[in-house]
Amino acid sequence: MSQRILVATFDDEGDLLNAVTAVRRQGLRIEDAFTPYAVHGLDHAMGLRPSRLTWVCFVFGMAGAVGMLWFEHWVAAVSWPVNVGGKPWNSLPSDVPVAFEAAVLLAGFGSVFALFAVSRLYPGKQASVSHPGSTDDRFVLVIEETDATFDLSAVEQLLQTFHVVDTRELIREEGHGS
Amino acid sequence: MKSAPLVVPALLTRRLSVATLMGAAVLAGTAFVAPDRAWANLLLGSYFLITMGLGGALFIALTNVCGASWSVAFRRVPEAMAGLLPFGGVLLLVAVAVHLPQYAWHHHGQGDSGTFWFKELWLESKFFAVRAIGYVVLWVALSRILINNSRRQDLDNSTAATAANGVTSVVFLAAFAISISLASVDWIMALEPMWFSTIWGVYQFSGLFLGTLAAMVPACVILRRRGPLAGAFREEHLHDLGKLLIGFSCFWMYIWFSQYMLIWYSNIPEETSWFIRRTHGPWGPIVLASILLNWVVPFFVLLPRPCKRSESVMLKIAVVVLLGRWLDLYIMIFPSVTGNTPMFGLPEVSTIVGVCCLMAILFIRSFAAAGSVPHNDPFLADSLRYHA
Repeated sequence: MSQRILVATFDDEGDLLNAVTAVRRQGLRIEDAFTPYAVHGLDHAMGLRPSRLTWVCFVFGMAGAVGMLWFEHWVAAVSWPVNVGGKPWNSLPSDVPVAFEAAVLLAGFGSVFALFAVSRLYPGKQASVSHPGSTDDRFVLVIEETDATFDLSAVEQLLQTFHVVDTRELIREEGHGS
Repeated sequence: MKSAPLVVPALLTRRLSVATLMGAAVLAGTAFVAPDRAWANLLLGSYFLITMGLGGALFIALTNVCGASWSVAFRRVPEAMAGLLPFGGVLLLVAVAVHLPQYAWHHHGQGDSGTFWFKELWLESKFFAVRAIGYVVLWVALSRILINNSRRQDLDNSTAATAANGVTSVVFLAAFAISISLASVDWIMALEPMWFSTIWGVYQFSGLFLGTLAAMVPACVILRRRGPLAGAFREEHLHDLGKLLIGFSCFWMYIWFSQYMLIWYSNIPEETSWFIRRTHGPWGPIVLASILLNWVVPFFVLLPRPCKRSESVMLKIAVVVLLGRWLDLYIMIFPSVTGNTPMFGLPEVSTIVGVCCLMAILFIRSFAAAGSVPHNDPFLADSLRYHA
């Protein structure tokens, strides 16, 4: 099965933001928007859910801290107790810096690799760019042409009011992400 | 950008004044019964006040030096907080003057001459007093320039004030970094002159800025509700204050622990004395409470984004952190002055209430003296459209 998408490009982030709002109000489905840099307020205009990545980050961070505290306790007090400066074997203050670093490390790596997994990124992946301008100076909006009622000329007319630079239709085989 | 002026009901002003006077009266009464306890409260209250004023000036200077535009819409709030400096400075100088004989190092150092020659030189009474005046004058002068330039721009609509404040801010940051380290060593660390900590200045800075950020949250929120900052102080600004608050809460914990851990690890008697007093016996739970209020609660509550954007959550956390700030100073000052038994009663409560009311009076007066929003600032439009 194939899918038709409409790729519209804009010159200005303000136009893209307004177009996104208008297109959504028309009940059209936005597949995604591609911009050269993060446009503030775009996620809100597109009605995206808050990212769940923060929770991944939190869970990994806590796992790093708790896991490392347990490991340090096991190393220093259970498996091979060592007397350091006459301190008790299981001294919490000496465990904190490493637990802190482990929390930061796991939170960072956890977030990055969770992002890779969710967006199916891997080394050597072929890039599929809807419009090459989105990596340079163009703001790209991809609209799904899902049903038979999709009226191309009406949509193009709507986009004209937001100074759309260029629109083109693409047919995409199912299973190939954009 | 039009902004409503700040209207304060006469009744509120009168109540604040009465509460301040009552606090002062209780403190004066305590001075006859228990002079040390009264003085510890006076030092804590005036240091709290002066560091709030410094924090306000620091916030302005930091954002100016970074070229930050997001905070311009509510910059009159830190400016009004910097307006606490003259009065806080006078109060602190009174505290220093009253206690000068006890502060003096030579009471402790007799017979040790030679070993501690620098301490004796540095903590000599006259030099000590002159330095205290010097710090306060320096802070008042620099913060005055920052505030006046900003207010002048409201009238003459030129960008010269922005440029001038950029330069003043750089000078302030350099002067602040050195002077707060020295001043806090003089006024608080020297309460136990045999003890020393080389991270003291950073520790003081972290608590100072954390407390300032916490105080800015209710100030901005109340001013928005009452009108002067309506439409200017937005959810996005609250969100960013929340980010700074959680960030500096972690910074405070990081520095607190850095001081603790190095002293714990090396375990040298002249360094550990300070912490042994504060972590053993009845002070132990108070130190834990301070960590809870200053870091644990703000950190876990402010992690989710919606909490940083919620007025009610941010207000509650601001109160928690301000209590933590007081407790942090209480732990620094009281064991050195009043001994090993924690005291909490009428003098402490009335000082806290008095200082809060005094802060409110000074803040309101300073805020009402200028337009609620710096409407000629070239970055105001940026700030009003800002997205966190």
